[in-house]
Amino acid sequence: MDLFTALQAVLNGILTGALYALVGMGMALIFGVMRIVNFAHGAFMMLGMYAAYVLFTRTGVNPYYGFPLVGLVLFGLGYLLYQGLLRPIHGQSDFMQILLTLGIGLALTDGIQLVFGADYHQINFPLLGKIIHFGDRIRVSAPWVVSFAIAVAACGGLYFVVMHTMMGRAARAIAQNRYAAPLMGIHLHRVQAFWFGLGVATAAVAGCLLLPVFYLYPGVGDQFTLKAFVIVVLGGMESIVGAALAGVLLGVVESLTSLYWGNEWALAVDFVIFLLVLSLRPGGIFGSQRA
Amino acid sequence: MKRMHLIFALAGLAVSLLLPLVVRGDYHLQVLFRIYLFAALGLAWNLVGGYAGQLSLGHAAYFGAGAYGLAVFTQAGLPLGIALVLLVALALVFALLIGGVSFRLRGPYFALATIAFAEVLHATAKNLPNLTGGDVGIQVPALFHNHVQRSFCYCAILLAAAALAATAVISRSRFGYYLMAIREDQDTALSVGVNTARTKLNALLVSAAFTALGGALYGSLFLFIVPDQVLSIDISNEIAIVAMLGGAGTLAGPLVGALVLESASELFKSVFQEAHLLIYGLLLIVVVLFLPEGIVGGVASLLRRQKRRKAPGEAR
Repeated sequence: MDLFTALQAVLNGILTGALYALVGMGMALIFGVMRIVNFAHGAFMMLGMYAAYVLFTRTGVNPYYGFPLVGLVLFGLGYLLYQGLLRPIHGQSDFMQILLTLGIGLALTDGIQLVFGADYHQINFPLLGKIIHFGDRIRVSAPWVVSFAIAVAACGGLYFVVMHTMMGRAARAIAQNRYAAPLMGIHLHRVQAFWFGLGVATAAVAGCLLLPVFYLYPGVGDQFTLKAFVIVVLGGMESIVGAALAGVLLGVVESLTSLYWGNEWALAVDFVIFLLVLSLRPGGIFGSQRA
Repeated sequence: MKRMHLIFALAGLAVSLLLPLVVRGDYHLQVLFRIYLFAALGLAWNLVGGYAGQLSLGHAAYFGAGAYGLAVFTQAGLPLGIALVLLVALALVFALLIGGVSFRLRGPYFALATIAFAEVLHATAKNLPNLTGGDVGIQVPALFHNHVQRSFCYCAILLAAAALAATAVISRSRFGYYLMAIREDQDTALSVGVNTARTKLNALLVSAAFTALGGALYGSLFLFIVPDQVLSIDISNEIAIVAMLGGAGTLAGPLVGALVLESASELFKSVFQEAHLLIYGLLLIVVVLFLPEGIVGGVASLLRRQKRRKAPGEAR
């Protein structure tokens, strides 16, 4: 195993990591604003993938152009789901909220299976075969680079919205003190519905970016729900910057694990890291130290 | 009132013991087995999830420990009795590890840690072909050779009865009141001198032991197990849903939950085939939004309300 193989693995890990960062940021946003651990996060990502798949097979629009539309549709779905299902149990224990989002995730996954069947799907367009070379030894496939670029832009956009818009300021106010914020004239449920929608849209966009380089089946989101847990715990639960860094870190760790121990251990290593962080630094490695 | 409960329980046990003799056909006996097995598993989960209010979504870890324990320990040449003791011990070790890591934390961390631990075991079982057979699976010894389905049914009934008896005793003991105090308000429980971490851990240990025995039964009935079957997150979810649907923190809840969920899922299987898990998701949403106390809790509070409405009228 020489240096270039390791470098190649790190590079692959960073490319995957940007997608993880996007998934994790959506989860961290929802947790930060609503205190809800979104067990349906991967299901929303899966839904985004199917939406992009349908868009591509019906109209020929590939996910790299179609992702804003998919994001918008899933934003609407998230907004409605918040108003219809999550709002009524507002303020209840996290026990109930976890069970509700778990139920939503199961229903979405099996609803999709009912409509599309359990078969695996893949999409194909000319860009997918292209490979970009860096020097003699390092190479990456073009769709990964495009997905990476869009994911980084989306992460940046999300950061901008959180830090520099009224909605972002309202979200940060609620995250700081959810009792004082409504007294300052913040419409709690409208803001939470917006951010739940945006969190769902983020997951869906990540799904769009994953579709060209991955395959599609109804249960594809499950592993990403689990990875999103790992990412937000590493990142300090509510910190979006922490989640982004943790996503990239996770991508690199997984890639190196696959290289040295084999692909099948990657998820196990994720969870061992997760358990270690929970027991040693429950505030996350990038987050503030309070749990 | 207490005597009433006992009479109900004994009548229920008598009916349960007669049912496998009346029910005909392997398919129906197997459905019956699933109902009693998941009643037992739901009761075990209920100690942690219902009485102590700690959401475990990783009970597949103990279930899998039971199924794989039986397979691995008997393949190593150990007699059945010792294998049974060892598989329970294995589940207890897992419970100690999970509880030790996560019971010091609040909020959603326990739920997340239970999932993480079960998934580590899932991946480990997949990746150690020499020990567990890997993805290919491993053979589990048959516990019974004659009247197989019926014998397994009786075992599941006995396990459920034992779990019910244990829950009944615990729910009236000091230990049980500690658990409920933790569920209602952990800080207050701590401030009046309840060792919350220890109490929660004890509940998890009892729960894990019953779950492991259930897993061993399940594995032995199918004679062959793979990681995706006995260590999957679906098993964890199913166990939790059984208890939540029937009524978490109630004695009869998991029994009712198992009866309703397993029958509903059999019906759904014939209509929707692969997508029969849809019913789990929909039921969960309905329970959280409209029946937070489950079927048993919902009916009980309805009866209480009616009694209260009647009472002033009689006083006049």
